Amino acid sequence: MMLRLAVASLMARALTVGMAVLAIALSVALFLGVEKVRTGAKASFADTISGTDLIVGARSGSVQLLLYSVFRIGNATNNVTWESYLDIAARPEVEWIVPVSLGDSHRQFRVMGTNSAFFEHYKYRQGRSLELAQGAQLGDLFDAVIGADVAATLNYGIGDPIIVSHGIASFVEHEDQPFRVSGILAKTGTPVDRTVIVSLEAIEAIHVDWQGGAQVPGQTTPAETLRQMDLTPTAVTAALVGVQSPLQTFALQRAINSYPKEPLLAILPGLALQELWGIVGIAETALLAVSCMVVVTALIGMMAIIFSSLNERRREMAIFRAMGARPRTIVGMLVLEAMLMAAVGALLGLALLYAALFVAQPVVDSAFGLWLPIEAPTLRDVYVVLAVVGAGAIVSLVPATRAYRMSLADGMMVRT
Amino acid sequence: MKKMFFCAAVVAATPLASETERQLGAHQHGIGALNIAIEETAVLMELRAPGADIVGFEHPAKSEEHRAAIDAAVATLAQPLSLFVVPDAAGCSVTRASAMLETEEGDLDHDGHDHEDHADHDGHAHDDHAHEDHAHEDHAGHEAHDGKQGHTEFHAEYMLSCADPQALTEVAFAYFDSFANARMLEVQIVSASGAQAFEVSKEAPLLDLRSLY
Repeated sequence: MMLRLAVASLMARALTVGMAVLAIALSVALFLGVEKVRTGAKASFADTISGTDLIVGARSGSVQLLLYSVFRIGNATNNVTWESYLDIAARPEVEWIVPVSLGDSHRQFRVMGTNSAFFEHYKYRQGRSLELAQGAQLGDLFDAVIGADVAATLNYGIGDPIIVSHGIASFVEHEDQPFRVSGILAKTGTPVDRTVIVSLEAIEAIHVDWQGGAQVPGQTTPAETLRQMDLTPTAVTAALVGVQSPLQTFALQRAINSYPKEPLLAILPGLALQELWGIVGIAETALLAVSCMVVVTALIGMMAIIFSSLNERRREMAIFRAMGARPRTIVGMLVLEAMLMAAVGALLGLALLYAALFVAQPVVDSAFGLWLPIEAPTLRDVYVVLAVVGAGAIVSLVPATRAYRMSLADGMMVRT
Repeated sequence: MKKMFFCAAVVAATPLASETERQLGAHQHGIGALNIAIEETAVLMELRAPGADIVGFEHPAKSEEHRAAIDAAVATLAQPLSLFVVPDAAGCSVTRASAMLETEEGDLDHDGHDHEDHADHDGHAHDDHAHEDHAHEDHAGHEAHDGKQGHTEFHAEYMLSCADPQALTEVAFAYFDSFANARMLEVQIVSASGAQAFEVSKEAPLLDLRSLY
């Protein structure tokens, strides 16, 4: 009975009620959206590297080394000499080690020099290995394996030539030594999708005729000669390391960190990520607080609408009273109306969020490399909806109390 | 040495014998580091704590009192299960424990305070000399460094064997009761499920490990 009355009353004021509901819906969508992006970003980062016990690079900060070597974000770290790399590789604790050499680019994509062990040991999303969608792994010196996004964006197929640019601003190109696409990796949702992978030796080879960051004019070593040359690298950017046993992780880390010949840094990727979340945590909290305030604002807007409706509903209230409704019933009806508005708003917000995710997912993925999963609402989302309904009820108590008092007086005094 | 907690990082170990390079590590009073690695039933723990946290001073022991304090601290540090209390259900026992004081002061202090393999007194198994070798390597570096006033650190390494590592759901840090100057331990844990970091403080001396499983 009361529910029918409340619904009918809301329907009668569809426009103003609709505005309040829309405000609540948008605010709830924003609040839940912030949380989705936050958890999506975390999961995306956490899924990028798995199974690697240590990352070794030049001494910098653990977050910087992680971001640069794995995510290709932020400032470049110094290089590590090949001698140090071999020293670490020779340590008994090391089960496997994969070199990573960054610095060159192809169009907007990074070129990474490594060896075939990368395909074997690089793991993402709880231990998944890289898979080739087409073609073969690195065979020839000038073979390149490209990530799924590289292939899709530049429309490359197997056998297409690739010219690597020196540095990341494409002013100078290694035009003399074109690569050939030998394989295309399946989509992983990690930065590997946006990477051109070549062999470490190839990185050396394309720099053979270069001195001081520019090509020596007129000097081009033919590819055949390069294939015969000793292309042992002089430096790498970082190395991914797997240890024999977790018990040796810390000992190896300490040994690398106090390696006397070169200032090196070994980090545990999981801990570096945790450190990163610690840093961005403040911004996250601020963002959540702001979106929370938006929800509060929307609810206060709803309160204002109920308040202003009280005046125009004086006669209605008086009739209810005359027909025997107790003041408590009036309060109950107002609270029920508010809860209905909040509930519809919150559910609409949830629907808006999913619609937005559906539209934004591919865009965000290609622009930021961030995969936002579309999943069923979590328990937390349900709590948020319930909290908004509850908060709506509490907020409506303020106008309801006023109506409670007024309906007493209005019921007894006859006014025109 | 002033009892200044959380004072900015200054000097610590790793002076070098071979090269002309100079490197220093971080050193924060009040904050120690505990690394825990778990592989099946084996649990390795490494504790590094500034001298200021453990005995309240970092200068070389000059008086009998200081020596006694260091000896007592090293003896306490060699009892891991009374410093880091794990649930009985895990069935952990100590297979190796060692604690020592490391200083930049050259070899002055080492002989007196290096209580290597202290746990042997408790009759625990002692089948691994690898750690001993490692410790001496460390010392070789320090001895080459000529003495300036430096910071000292207590290092302890424990090897535990736990019958049921899944039952290691929490660790109670009685450590903070034993060493009144210690304020915080930065705990890093490596296990089959990956690496995780925690901060355990004097105010909240309980580490919940359920997220590891």
